[in-house]
Amino acid sequence: MSFFHNFWQLTVDGLSTGSLYAVIALGYTLVYGVLQLINFAHSEVFMFGGFAGLFAVRGVAPGGGTGWTSVGLIAFGLIIGALAGGLSAFVLERTAYAPLRRRGAPKLAYLISAIGASYFAFNLAGKEFGRQNVNAPGLYDNNKVLFHIFSAKIQIRTVLIFGVAIAMLVLLDRLVNATRLGKAIRAVAQDSDTASLMGINVNRVIVFTFIVGGLLAGAGGFLYAQVFSASYTMGFLPGIKAFTAAVLGGIGNVRGAMLGGIVLGVVEAYGGDLLGGNYVDVVAFLVLVLVLLFRPSGLLGERLGRAA
Amino acid sequence: MSTTSVSPPQAGQRLREVWRPTKADRGRFIACVLLALVIAIVTGKDGSGDQPLQGIKESLHLERALFFVLGGIALWVLLVLGRVVGPLMRAPRMQLSAATNRALEPRWARPLLYLVLLGVAIWYPRTISTAGQQSLVNDVAIYALLGLGLNVVVGFAGLLDLGYIAFYAIGAYTTSYFTSKTAIPWHAPFIWNPFFIFPIALIAAALAGVILGGPTLRLRGDYLAIVTLGFGEIVQLLAKNAQGITNGARGSFGTPPLSIHLGPIKYKWGLSSLPYYYLLLGIIILVMIAFSALNRSRTGRALAAIREDEVAAEAMGVPTLRYKLMAFAIGASVSGFAGVIFATEQFFDPSSFSFQASILVLTVVIFGGMGSIFGVVLGAVVLQGLLYNLKDTVPANDRYIYFGAVIMLMMVFRPQGLLPSRRRSRELALSEVGIGHADGMGSPTDAP
Amino acid sequence: MLLPLALAACGSSSKTTSPPASGGSSSAAASGGTVTIGFQGPLSGPNSPQLGINGVDGVKLAIQQANDAKKLPYTLKLDQSDDQGSADQGPTAARKLVDDKVIAVVGPMFSGATKASEPVFSQAGILSVSPSATNVALTTLGFKTFVRVIAPDNVQGKFAADYIAQKLKAKKVFSLDDNTDYGTGLSKYLEAELKAKGVSVTHDGIDPTKDYTSETTKIIGTNPDAVYYSGYYAQFGPLAKALKGAGYKGALLSGDGSNDDQFIKDAGGPANANGAYLTCACGDANIDPKAVAFVSAYKALNGANPGTYSGEAYDATNALIEVLKGLGDKPTASAVVDAYKKVDYTGLTKQIKFTSAGEVAGSAVYLYQVKDGKRVVLGLISDLLK
Repeated sequence: MSFFHNFWQLTVDGLSTGSLYAVIALGYTLVYGVLQLINFAHSEVFMFGGFAGLFAVRGVAPGGGTGWTSVGLIAFGLIIGALAGGLSAFVLERTAYAPLRRRGAPKLAYLISAIGASYFAFNLAGKEFGRQNVNAPGLYDNNKVLFHIFSAKIQIRTVLIFGVAIAMLVLLDRLVNATRLGKAIRAVAQDSDTASLMGINVNRVIVFTFIVGGLLAGAGGFLYAQVFSASYTMGFLPGIKAFTAAVLGGIGNVRGAMLGGIVLGVVEAYGGDLLGGNYVDVVAFLVLVLVLLFRPSGLLGERLGRAA
Repeated sequence: MSTTSVSPPQAGQRLREVWRPTKADRGRFIACVLLALVIAIVTGKDGSGDQPLQGIKESLHLERALFFVLGGIALWVLLVLGRVVGPLMRAPRMQLSAATNRALEPRWARPLLYLVLLGVAIWYPRTISTAGQQSLVNDVAIYALLGLGLNVVVGFAGLLDLGYIAFYAIGAYTTSYFTSKTAIPWHAPFIWNPFFIFPIALIAAALAGVILGGPTLRLRGDYLAIVTLGFGEIVQLLAKNAQGITNGARGSFGTPPLSIHLGPIKYKWGLSSLPYYYLLLGIIILVMIAFSALNRSRTGRALAAIREDEVAAEAMGVPTLRYKLMAFAIGASVSGFAGVIFATEQFFDPSSFSFQASILVLTVVIFGGMGSIFGVVLGAVVLQGLLYNLKDTVPANDRYIYFGAVIMLMMVFRPQGLLPSRRRSRELALSEVGIGHADGMGSPTDAP
Repeated sequence: MLLPLALAACGSSSKTTSPPASGGSSSAAASGGTVTIGFQGPLSGPNSPQLGINGVDGVKLAIQQANDAKKLPYTLKLDQSDDQGSADQGPTAARKLVDDKVIAVVGPMFSGATKASEPVFSQAGILSVSPSATNVALTTLGFKTFVRVIAPDNVQGKFAADYIAQKLKAKKVFSLDDNTDYGTGLSKYLEAELKAKGVSVTHDGIDPTKDYTSETTKIIGTNPDAVYYSGYYAQFGPLAKALKGAGYKGALLSGDGSNDDQFIKDAGGPANANGAYLTCACGDANIDPKAVAFVSAYKALNGANPGTYSGEAYDATNALIEVLKGLGDKPTASAVVDAYKKVDYTGLTKQIKFTSAGEVAGSAVYLYQVKDGKRVVLGLISDLLK
């Protein structure tokens, strides 16, 4: 059976795809934690981060690089991507969310406003950056196999994706659990009214939450654009998958988002091999539905305040 | 009102106070200038992947940028003037008693308004191009019908459904199955006139709604949203992949058009769009009448109670799960109806049942005014009309930039939608002053 | 009270509007010395608007050249209609062109939109010549005014399969399609012919994405001699990149949807694209020495190189202009339909001449290969097989 033959390689593939989902899912989960709403435009934040990081790297080194240069370039791209992501998340919050918050608008109005912002943003990106795929200059040898785990080949990009994703999770976990800002975020997530009575500036916390989510998505966007490619619609699929992953793990829960992303990635890799590539999404959503039926608040339960 | 009694020196001082830009004005100034620059970029030249900043650079060359910035500043001046002059100009508002209000709006006003609207709905399509008529059928009328159905789920019961288009697909494929032997590989052993499919599609879609809703309606707000999203995706993917059943991505071709054969009345819907439009108009009016009756009925009040506070409703003895299922089934069945009409226009393929289509229906409902029956129909007319008219006014590729901007601006300046229902307006007013939620899903920054 | 009114409206309208002058060979708009050519294709939305842009830019160039050279006694105008490549926008887009009284239409480009739009053109009696809709069934559905200048999927699928079996001598082939109307059609005919030749075939479909990591593992797991992708270059590029990245050594092929220089960029550069074969029932303008003038004129007008289907759209329009030359200064839509079906015009990509069904006669399938980061023509597959 080819499935057993491919098993370890598929597991590694699933883990690397899943960690990308997880990085994006963190942004959904953070915003959900403090606002209880799905940020539908988060996928465009991811897209802008991808373009910005990629264009920056290409601008600095059009021919790419090798060795330590490439490590530096990747770090540079991640930083620029993260900054662009943070900036676009900030702009998004100021234009599509803050005015509604001031009016005490219903939750669905936020959802639709974000959908409008998403249409606006990705089509504008298509206008400015063209509608073809944009590839990064070669930064390392794609084919180089570093080592094997069982029968699975571990390549540089696998290590890269995995390493960056884990680093981000750890950073975010520390930020939420061990800093003043994190404490404020958790307080707002638990009870925003009480938090504001305790002297926390709820508005500022919300803006910061958006920016933190944007930084992660932007860096994730660069990673994705560098390994695959960037295009104006690049956010849509990973966005919807990451959103699914966040719910799967228990939305509002940072570790849940990470777990949900990885589970989703692995399930997709297995499902695609066993049933055919065209059933990947069917399997992914079926797993989601089943998990929610038996654990109605996701794998690890919700609440940013408690479980994180 | 109070300005009438101030003496001249006081008025002068007040004027100076008013003229001094406030902090909010400074914020507005920046916003106006930035807005002007964004407009300059959106209406400017295209860039490309090789030269990503070229488009922006060319859109913002000196004269053009200056022109737009001056426009932005002019807008700001108008806004400030509005703030200063507005209160001076505003006539004292009369507080009318409820009785006077009733006298001012005579009993015949409402029916007359409906008659005029109906007259416009009947007469207007005859005056426009055939492309416009086609768009009225495929975009406006079908989405109005879909919106009316989704409105029962989202607007009446407060349940977020992101996979609503699946029921539309079920209606369409049911039609192919029963009315043609060639449209899709699977077909019934007999062939029926599409008119008989209306009740079947209604039942099939409602059943699908119950099957989906049964296990999932226990889930709260956003979990329900994502499960319905998953359901919608699964239905579309199955339609696309099951080539031996649905003909896959190649779609269903050759469903017969609708026809009536009742004694002396014989009529066949052909290729032209107007007959479909009038049929849809009839169905939409029936559905509107039925749903406004539903909204005023015991069921409607029960759904409103669930929307506003599910726990309280349950405590008062409302069987919430049963009512939520009912809302789901009613919404789904309307969608199935729309599917039948869509299918009888000869050809469809699974790309019409995408997640984006679900989102568009939801946007129609919220844009028009959640919970408001007239609002939803108006939402479909305005949004789809906007898309249709943008076709020839802006470059095709930029169409959705403007579309997105309009949706966003609408939500920012009028989050309640074009024509909010009276019940909803009251809830929104209450939530604005901090009493209760704006909808059943709780309002943001207001964690349960 | 409302109800009877609405029904009455239904009844009365049906009488007056049902047969709107069908088969109307309206003496087309030669008003003020201009005649309008319609174009229908995806110009926005999620279904590869780039392909629509490729098409309309080809049409634009042909029209501009005809106007500049004063080939016709009137000025040609272009009327674009965006169908977003989707079935539900198709009829509206088609009716717009009919409303605008175009003399003939180049398009629709996608098969789904074509199926939905052709009844409108048939009814109006307006010629519709598609540069790119390859679904086999299209010419069998009774559309009276439809022809296409591209070979249907079965022709290309068969030649590609023959080459894989006889020349590449593959024993095991992995056939992957993109789950679209176009992709599933092409893979179906490819696989049928491969099986007939005794080649073992593994089929899979995958929705367009960028992340082909686990699909690649699956492909390599079956250890194929050749992989054929039925789909567009925006996905074939990333797939080639992923396959090369995972160490795939066999042959890599795709069809006309990937036959574009952008494929090499999308694959992440020549290193990943080199050696890939592309089959297409078209000569390619970009690399044909005869077409240098076309490429430079195209670039001057549109600011980009011709892409997939630009050449076909250009040829279809030029053949139309050729037909119009013979129809005097007041051509009618019905005369164009009759004359176009009898046209014999040598275009850039092929000779345009139609069978009675509306297929382009004698479709030759060419084989291309990427060598040193450039696409080169290896020749006609029928010649290569000899």
